[in-house]
Amino acid sequence: MRYFFLPVIIIFILASSALASYREAFEKEFLFKSWGGEEPEVNACIDCHSSDIMKKEFQSVMQSWKRSWHYQNNVLCHDCHGGDYKDATMSMSHQRGFLGTPKYTEVPDFCGKCHIGILRNYLESGHGKALQATGKGPNCVTCHGSHNIQKANIEIINEGLCTKCHTYERAKIMKQALFATENKIRDIDKKLEDLKIEGIYVGDEKRELFSTQAEFRALFHTIDADLVKQRTDDFTRKLNVIDTKIKNSFNEIHFRKNFSAFLMLIFIGLSIVVSLLSKTYKD
Amino acid sequence: MWQKIKDGFDERAGLQSLIRIKLKDYKVPSGINIFYTLGIVALIAYMIQAVSGYFLLIYYIPHPDYAFKSVQDMMNMVPFGWLPRMIHIVVSNLMVIVIILHLISIFVMLSYKKPRELTWIAGVCLFFITLIFCLSGYLLPWSQRSFWATTIVTNIPTAFPVIGDYIANVLRGGNNISGTTLSRFFALHIAFLPPVFLFIAGFHMFLVRRLGLSTPPFRTAAEGSDEGYPFYPHFFLKQVFMIMVFFSLVFFMMTFMPTTFLPEAANTPADPLKTPFSIKPEWYFLAPYQMFKIIPNKFFGISLQVLLAVIFLLWPYLDTKEEKNILKRPLLILFFILAWTIWVSLTLWGRYS
Repeated sequence: MRYFFLPVIIIFILASSALASYREAFEKEFLFKSWGGEEPEVNACIDCHSSDIMKKEFQSVMQSWKRSWHYQNNVLCHDCHGGDYKDATMSMSHQRGFLGTPKYTEVPDFCGKCHIGILRNYLESGHGKALQATGKGPNCVTCHGSHNIQKANIEIINEGLCTKCHTYERAKIMKQALFATENKIRDIDKKLEDLKIEGIYVGDEKRELFSTQAEFRALFHTIDADLVKQRTDDFTRKLNVIDTKIKNSFNEIHFRKNFSAFLMLIFIGLSIVVSLLSKTYKD
Repeated sequence: MWQKIKDGFDERAGLQSLIRIKLKDYKVPSGINIFYTLGIVALIAYMIQAVSGYFLLIYYIPHPDYAFKSVQDMMNMVPFGWLPRMIHIVVSNLMVIVIILHLISIFVMLSYKKPRELTWIAGVCLFFITLIFCLSGYLLPWSQRSFWATTIVTNIPTAFPVIGDYIANVLRGGNNISGTTLSRFFALHIAFLPPVFLFIAGFHMFLVRRLGLSTPPFRTAAEGSDEGYPFYPHFFLKQVFMIMVFFSLVFFMMTFMPTTFLPEAANTPADPLKTPFSIKPEWYFLAPYQMFKIIPNKFFGISLQVLLAVIFLLWPYLDTKEEKNILKRPLLILFFILAWTIWVSLTLWGRYS
């Protein structure tokens, strides 16, 4: 048998050496390609803006975007700026829907393509009216920035940012009105993460929380503190429903662990009994 | 009354004599240790998998749109649905550990030597079938982890020239992991593999019973001598004890480490368009996967693995020395330690790379 294996090994090694350059493309693919699914599409915007031929300030746009909440949620350049990301030569053609950089007053419509509810409330707010009337009021970028846009939270309302345009008093009242609900949202979000780590699927609850949160934050853009206070009870009720589900899930986890522990103790007991029984037989 | 029923049944079925012949008169060599019980523990693990699998089958839907949801519904909505699923997951991993320990003990005690070569070959075949069971079952929950881990594994055969792509396409039912792959793996897992497994396991157990348990190599009594004690109750109780320990371990894992084999990615639905940052197969595939990654020529990598598998399978025919005490075989000890060190190192490398 051993004499059979020796030639087999030699054949394998020889064949491998002979085919050493076999399909180099495969090796590259094996190491680098995205596994399965469709091949990732070429993105002309990213390729060009990441290359050295681009000016430094335009390269930094890409770096900023890669740190953003948009990037984490797969919102790409063309989703905001339009154009054809598949075709490098025509990527910035207006015929392919390229919008370029919006003018200051056009920014709300630019962002509002996706953030529809927020746009509506913003336009009805003092901020929106000021922009529409004078062209100088704050737009989305004033508070959220442009490319390095982070997940919105209550800390965006701060003295440093608000006092650029007006006193902090009104903003402070708004922040206080938001405080309890925002904290609850954050608290629930954390609990959902904990549940996920415990092995529970929380996709439905996450979606529910996201929709409540989006609705609440859209309301904030009216910058009407009284309206926020009035509606706080509605949001608290919705959040409590999610919170109750989370509590039930945690209780369920505890029950599962206790039940498993109970079964474990039964089997430990049985193994002790069997062990003692076998000793009596030996005797 | 009870005695009459018992006697009447015994008169017709001959149960008493069957127990006497098959259990009490059947002698096992004295000096055998708990490592001899690992085979039965593995068999019980398979049975647990079959029973828990039947419960999973009631609610599972093998379709990409429903697979993940059906599993989650089973976990969170069906009363006690989590129990068979958690048992299925934990036992699938512990079963691999038990089989590996079983193979190690057989190797160290050189129990594969003549006339037990076929028993070893059947056992190794069962080990390979277990791995295919694990692989095919892994995809079924259709989670991010299962989807991408299967994508890796089904890409590996493409390293073979000429037939590689064909093999991969047969496995996946197309160029990518899709609903067809799910159907194929599902059918493989619940319909094709179990009868193959039962056949080989039956053959394995037939040989074990026919040839008897091998005498521990570290004692002086000659093989086949009359020395020994009855299978029942002595060895039988030893087996029952180990089965109870195995069950305790399963529930220990479920109590204190329920997420060990169920990480976060296993609770995220599969997204073919979102490649995870880090993709890794299950722990028992990490060593071959890492080996495959570090060998620059992929054809050589896969050829080497096939060769190693064949050597492993036919080992009793390669090790033809008659000495049954491994302590008198320093070269074999060295080979064993080296092989284990490489396997553990590759696994750890794969885990933390």
